Amino acid sequence: MAKSKNAQTSQAAKRKLSEKQLHEMLYTMMLIRRFEEKALDLYSLGKVHGTMHLSIGQEATAVGASGALTQQDYLLNTHRGHGHCLAWGSQADLMMAEFMGKETGYCRGRGGSMHIANVDANNLGANGIVAGGLPISVGVGLSIRARNTEQVVMVVFGDGASNEGAFHESINMASIWNLPVIFLCENNQYAMSMPVEKSMNIDRISDRAAAYGIEGVTVDGNDVEAVYEAVHNARQRAIAGKGPTLIECNTYRYMGHSKSDRQAYRTRDEVKTWMDKDPIERLAGHLDMSKKDKDGLFKKAEAEIEKAVEFAEASPEPDVADIMEGVYA
Amino acid sequence: MPSPNGTREITYVEAVREALTQSMQADERVFLIGEDIGVYGGAFGVSAGMHAEFGGERVIDTPISEAAIVGACVGAALTGMRPVGEIQFMDFITLGMEQLVLQAAKVRFMFGGKATVPMVLRTPGGSGTGAAAQHSESLETWFTHVPGLKVVMPSSPYDAKGLLMAAIQDENPVIFVEHKLLYKVSGPVPEEPYTIPLGEPNIVREGKHLTVVATSIMVQRAKQAAEELAKEGIEIEIVDPRTLNPFDDSLMIQSVVKTGKALVVHEAVKTSGYGAELVSRIVESEAFDYLDAPVRRLAGLDIPIPYNRNLEYHAVPQVENIVAEARKLVRGEY
Amino acid sequence: MAKEVIMPVFGFNQETSQIVSWLVKDGQTVEQGDPIAEVTTDKINMEIEAPTGGVFSGVGYAAGETVPVTTVIAYILEPGEKAPEAPVKAPVTPQAAPTPEEPEKSSYTPDPPTQNEQQLPPPAQPEYLPPATDGRVAPVSDLAAKVASEHGVDLAAVRGSGMGGRITRKDVESYLGAGAAAPAAGSGAKVRATPAARQAARQRGIALDTVRGSGPHGRVQAADVAAAQPAPRPRTAAPAQPGGVQRIPFTQMRRTIADNLQRSMQEAPHIYFQVDADVSALNDMVAEANRQAAEGDAKVTLTAVLAKAVAWTLQRHPRLNSHLGQGEVLQYQDIHLGIAVALDDGLIVPVVHNADHKNVRQLAAEVNDLASRARSGKLKPTDLQGATFTISNLGMFRVDRFTAIINPPQVGILAIGRASRRLVPDALGQAIVRPIAALTLSVDHRVIDGAVAAAFLDDLSAVCERPHLMAL
Repeated sequence: MAKSKNAQTSQAAKRKLSEKQLHEMLYTMMLIRRFEEKALDLYSLGKVHGTMHLSIGQEATAVGASGALTQQDYLLNTHRGHGHCLAWGSQADLMMAEFMGKETGYCRGRGGSMHIANVDANNLGANGIVAGGLPISVGVGLSIRARNTEQVVMVVFGDGASNEGAFHESINMASIWNLPVIFLCENNQYAMSMPVEKSMNIDRISDRAAAYGIEGVTVDGNDVEAVYEAVHNARQRAIAGKGPTLIECNTYRYMGHSKSDRQAYRTRDEVKTWMDKDPIERLAGHLDMSKKDKDGLFKKAEAEIEKAVEFAEASPEPDVADIMEGVYA
Repeated sequence: MPSPNGTREITYVEAVREALTQSMQADERVFLIGEDIGVYGGAFGVSAGMHAEFGGERVIDTPISEAAIVGACVGAALTGMRPVGEIQFMDFITLGMEQLVLQAAKVRFMFGGKATVPMVLRTPGGSGTGAAAQHSESLETWFTHVPGLKVVMPSSPYDAKGLLMAAIQDENPVIFVEHKLLYKVSGPVPEEPYTIPLGEPNIVREGKHLTVVATSIMVQRAKQAAEELAKEGIEIEIVDPRTLNPFDDSLMIQSVVKTGKALVVHEAVKTSGYGAELVSRIVESEAFDYLDAPVRRLAGLDIPIPYNRNLEYHAVPQVENIVAEARKLVRGEY
Repeated sequence: MAKEVIMPVFGFNQETSQIVSWLVKDGQTVEQGDPIAEVTTDKINMEIEAPTGGVFSGVGYAAGETVPVTTVIAYILEPGEKAPEAPVKAPVTPQAAPTPEEPEKSSYTPDPPTQNEQQLPPPAQPEYLPPATDGRVAPVSDLAAKVASEHGVDLAAVRGSGMGGRITRKDVESYLGAGAAAPAAGSGAKVRATPAARQAARQRGIALDTVRGSGPHGRVQAADVAAAQPAPRPRTAAPAQPGGVQRIPFTQMRRTIADNLQRSMQEAPHIYFQVDADVSALNDMVAEANRQAAEGDAKVTLTAVLAKAVAWTLQRHPRLNSHLGQGEVLQYQDIHLGIAVALDDGLIVPVVHNADHKNVRQLAAEVNDLASRARSGKLKPTDLQGATFTISNLGMFRVDRFTAIINPPQVGILAIGRASRRLVPDALGQAIVRPIAALTLSVDHRVIDGAVAAAFLDDLSAVCERPHLMAL
């Protein structure tokens, strides 16, 4: 059993990503940003209802993590999961249709923003319950082992979820059975309004790995390469039968918890400080990209999102006659 | 379906074990997961010997972590396996409710019908063992109130085997409620594998004066009551829903049309119990026009199960209560 | 370019927000993200941020005003830019907020006549109702259907007050102009009785308050009714008046008939059209069909053959296959023929559904079955629902011709007199004897004009005389 080891990923370890891959990652991050901004617009216009949880500012974590996994692996997503969903390769148009509650959406308009899944692509769905995906990840891990395949499952959750009982039960079980599970904690500093420093008495959530005898690492969640590296290493360990890893990605959401959050619990200055560490700007800077090239790439993302919105708006509503479908198989 | 007549007799617990064993032999996707189900053989001995036959990879002992047990079933089921989880006492399902109610029951619908969760969660319920309030619950009605879950409650060894094999083959999450006091009850059970379709009730006994609809151990008690009543010339018809949800109520309704009187019996507390659902279905149906007395419920008192032996006995319906209630109904005293 | 600032949607079901205060003044320069106004929903206070940098320009909403969401409340202008023409300040109407779209297609369509009396509010939500038995019929509670069937009420004429226009027992009873389920004559008090006893009493025509109850508190049991004698006929209950007048109270069915027909005559301007049709070919068809009948086949009657001919003609003249709705005509594709059946004391109109898809033998079987069940009181609610046109055949009596009253919301009814032997000229002008039946069509002139009705009758008499047209 691996002993717990908390280490910031070293710069030296960053080696695996080609310039081309980084460019693709940058584009995906831009696509996520524009997707969520558009979703926000549509919400304000009343075209999307319910609520939604935006991950603007957290794009590097989603893109870095999915980038390190393969198409055979599994994803269990959080309620703040649009970024992970797009990074996993989901289609923006089918997602947008789901947001608008259309029959063509990933969940035929039955799930909405909080429950987007694509089981055929091993995306086992976003979860509306904090820590709801963690126990499920244990079962996926067991299933992988029973079928003896070279797969891993990544379950994404927030800092708040690490205070739930399910976190404890699940990591403990995955640890005792050495299951191929990657526990990816997106620490965006707030559980709704509760700051991390008030909700736990430790500096790093990854410190908790020690309690279960598994590897725990904390990385800069706004550094796409660092996230990639950590998830890549966790996958290698899982495939090698060395069990689960707890990865903490430090990041920040620019928007409120949900659409009805007035953000009285944090200051504008704090938000600004994090905006200065914007993951998209950082990667663009790292790639020495000109403003023109960057704007061009954003435009491309915008065009893709516009097409997605057109598709969604033109799509049919679900038929009320089908309301009972999908309760039972 | 093989006839239960003329076959060997085994106990309810052996019937459950045989269903698990034969399902695992037939389908390698089936595995068991739960607390102390391995070498220990399960708190009630249901899986005794199965660890030796199938090994620790298919009979998986877990830490005391009900949420993770249920969640593990959901995750495995979503990715191609057919898990059978055991919750040691039905009371402990409260610790796994989130995974059961918000995950297992809902993912298929939330995902637009594009996922299946073929899992079974077995659990023993019921009182009568002196285990007091936290180990004697009858919570089955909770789950009938959650669309997406199926709820099965066998009352005999024959039904236990056939319904469990059907539950394991079903594509939906199934809560399989056993009864601690039924484990020792014997009855005819064919050796070969067989299934009883989920949702089909059983006319346990035919009669013309009164329809008694009973679940789980109350079916056994109703059968004993029927013998007493027959001595007085009262013939009761006993209907066992077997599957509480989904439940095809047509046989029950036909029976009430025939007898004109109905008594519903279950162990769970009366208020908002499954009996309320059964009574509603009767009075909503054509049977209404044939009712010749109020429809009555006989159920557990609205209290936690007490420890004291005598108090525990009086907390839930017993044979003599069924006899007395049936007699009053048939004699027109209500 | 001026950038609009709208009152955003913040949460579930939010339709308006109130402006608490403006945080910037007109003409003030703002940065992107600067708070420009504080607003409050019923739940929370929120700040609205400038969507972009520029010069703030309000459109005139003052602090304290309530504004529908998505309304433009200000602009951010580029320096020197003028605000676009001020939009008219929207009045504060919660309805202005986006509401969920009406489901385009629901599992049922409210029945047109429900709209005759008073516009119902549309269902606020998609309905959670069992599918209606007939696509066109409003959802009906089991009990309402039962009461309606017992009293011969056409459910299409009853306005539902339940969710989604669902017809409840109360609706049927108030339609009948009666209070609660007919209490037994005489006592006026409610009788304690079991449902089974009530059913037995209804079937045997026994008044429950004449039965001695053996159950608790004197409740009448089924066995008590079985042992009771049928109640005396109502006419003896009303003593004969001097001069031999008898007072025969209206039955519920008679009241329904009276109300319906009176309403129809008052509201629908009837016009009538007649044709004398030679039915010898139809008679031949009846005779041939009965000669060729296999064992167990229903006896084919002239009514069945005429039903076939009417269905065929309606296909060609769909305007007569309509209901009158609220300011509109609902013209149906399916043809459901009502067949008037006389009862001992009343009249009922069971329906042959999709008559155009049935052959003569099927129609005969169905008409015979409906008529016999109508007489034995065994029609189901669905048997009475959805007629789009009605035929009334009194040919079995010595009646040459008569006019019939339209059964609303239908717009036409065909009255068929007896086929009598009459002298008519043949092709060469020689007198020959032929069976001639008078067909009288009544139509609602609000919907059907004379020429339309005439063309219908023209085709109908043609197909009666040359039924092979139906095969072409």
